[in-house]
Amino acid sequence: MARLQLRNVVKSYGIHEAVRGVSLDIDDKEFVVFVGPSGCGKSTTLRMIAGLEHISRGEIAIGDEVVNRLGPGKRDIAMVFQNYALYPHMSVRENIAFCLEQQKLPKAEIQQRIATAAETLHITELLDRRPGQLSGGQRQRVAMGRAIVRNPKVFLFDEPLSNLDAKLRVKMRTEIKRLHQLIPTTTVYVTHDQVEAMTMADRVVVMNKGMVEQMDEPQKLYLKPASKFVAGFIGSPSMNFLPARLAGEATDLHLVLEDGTRLAVPASRADDFKHHLNRSVIFGIRPESISSHCDRPGWVPIDAAVDLVEPLGATSMVYFNVGKTGLCASIDSEFAPKARTRLPFSINMNQMHLFDPETERSLAC
Amino acid sequence: MRKLTTLHGRPASERLGDAALLLISLLLAIFFLMPIVWSVANSFKPAAEALANPVALFSKAFSLENYRRLEDVGAGWYVYAANSVLIALGTIVLTVLIAVPAGYGFAKFRFPGQSLIFVVVMATMMIPFQSILTPLFLILKFLGLQNNLFGLVLVYTTFQLPFSIFMMRNSFDAIPSALIEAARIDGASQWALLRRIMMPLALPGVATVAMFAFLNSWNEFLAALIFLSDQNKFTLPIMLVNVSSGIYGIIDWGALQAGITVTMFPCIVLFLALQRYYVRGLTAGAVK
Repeated sequence: MARLQLRNVVKSYGIHEAVRGVSLDIDDKEFVVFVGPSGCGKSTTLRMIAGLEHISRGEIAIGDEVVNRLGPGKRDIAMVFQNYALYPHMSVRENIAFCLEQQKLPKAEIQQRIATAAETLHITELLDRRPGQLSGGQRQRVAMGRAIVRNPKVFLFDEPLSNLDAKLRVKMRTEIKRLHQLIPTTTVYVTHDQVEAMTMADRVVVMNKGMVEQMDEPQKLYLKPASKFVAGFIGSPSMNFLPARLAGEATDLHLVLEDGTRLAVPASRADDFKHHLNRSVIFGIRPESISSHCDRPGWVPIDAAVDLVEPLGATSMVYFNVGKTGLCASIDSEFAPKARTRLPFSINMNQMHLFDPETERSLAC
Repeated sequence: MRKLTTLHGRPASERLGDAALLLISLLLAIFFLMPIVWSVANSFKPAAEALANPVALFSKAFSLENYRRLEDVGAGWYVYAANSVLIALGTIVLTVLIAVPAGYGFAKFRFPGQSLIFVVVMATMMIPFQSILTPLFLILKFLGLQNNLFGLVLVYTTFQLPFSIFMMRNSFDAIPSALIEAARIDGASQWALLRRIMMPLALPGVATVAMFAFLNSWNEFLAALIFLSDQNKFTLPIMLVNVSSGIYGIIDWGALQAGITVTMFPCIVLFLALQRYYVRGLTAGAVK
């Protein structure tokens, strides 16, 4: 159990910087998920915490101790790997016992700890098998058993579910979360799957190009993305982005889209944006914030020709164009239009986002 | 499943093809096994019959006479066999002791000049052994190891190493780095890592290295002939030559075949015993 701190951590390979100054403060017992596209530096950061990669600059502290110079075995961490990394020539029991044997614990205690861990993860009957005789889900469980048996200060997960099929992934996801509730330990979990990030995390760290874009609770990330990148990465389908201009006066703001369409900014949001009058912006709106016709306050009508409809069951993805930009709306299937018809849509401007076209940071912050 | 398809559901032409293939394989096997069978059969004949003309492959009379006469060759065949065993074991142990850490180093560590050193090690494979016999002789003489079994072990190990290091590097390379990382996180020391994780997984490679070290040191003739001058220190291949060039140039075929059988036997047994590992070792890292 420990706090985990990263202070301006940099990882460089020659002139290329894979991680460019990451500072994080992860609380004791917190479940933090690193998420981002491939090559964003999330795995490298995790591996630096684990001690598997050398830290080029900056500091990492577990508890009160700076661990930069400690080997991975001395950091009191446990890691679950993407491909499980179970020792193929050892039985499940030996796999789990290995780390305890390295700590030179008495045999009786080792056996007792294995039994407890196996019970927690329901793998007692697998203890005498070899990893090669296990299914993907079972291997995953053994890998977790190997991690929990040592009672570490920090758990590290490196995309542990990406080798499982979709159904099993959902099951293991809830299981990892339940395990964390059962054994509350500081956890860092790396994934490229934003659904995993949203569902599991106490706080999510969105990374891009070696830097932290935003660290926040999942719901805040969704509602108040700090940048265009976070807005586009979190939420499925992705947020729509349109080039626009913010015009009008402080009390009567509106957005002018490329094709001249004017969208009124509701009074509830005017305060957020009134300092950015008369400038180019990127207008962001989630597919869930576009609906078929609706009269509620803050909803603005827009007329468009439907290009394509993808039914998903409860909702349908409706694609249409505004000016030259394609938009996607997630609409209740009951009200879904047919392709190639013209339709009045409504945009929920209460949920609008504006970003700076150059820095791509949110203008609401 | 496969048996079912062979018995039923397969066209006659295909089954005929299989039969032909089997027949050809059998003929080839007989062709290659013949000399071995011939030697073994001859070695158990009475001496006179081994020289008879026309010869019979198998004789009705079973005799150990040839083996008994092998005892009269020089210091007796068992002395030479013991020497050969000592040299082979020494070469195996020394080769494995050096090649395993060297291969591990080349596979899993990064250090300056790594590729160059590896290329240099590999390049020594290109040097014909015979061309440096004289300098080797001088070095052994300088070390006082001439006419010494350990000296010969050193020579054999030297020539065994490039291939063995290459082999071990491939074996260690084939082990996923995630396993090593997992072990490091588990707190394994470098020694525990090598002993508990790497070695068991690289065992096929070690078996291959040991086998080649055995075969090459067991069968080697030229260096043994040159570096050993004391009759009591000769190895089996030298004994075989002594048998075949007997008094007045008469070749004692029976004794020679007995000697060949004795020499060949451990090779065949070892090969069969390690075959499973050996094949896995040679193809390690070929397909991920």
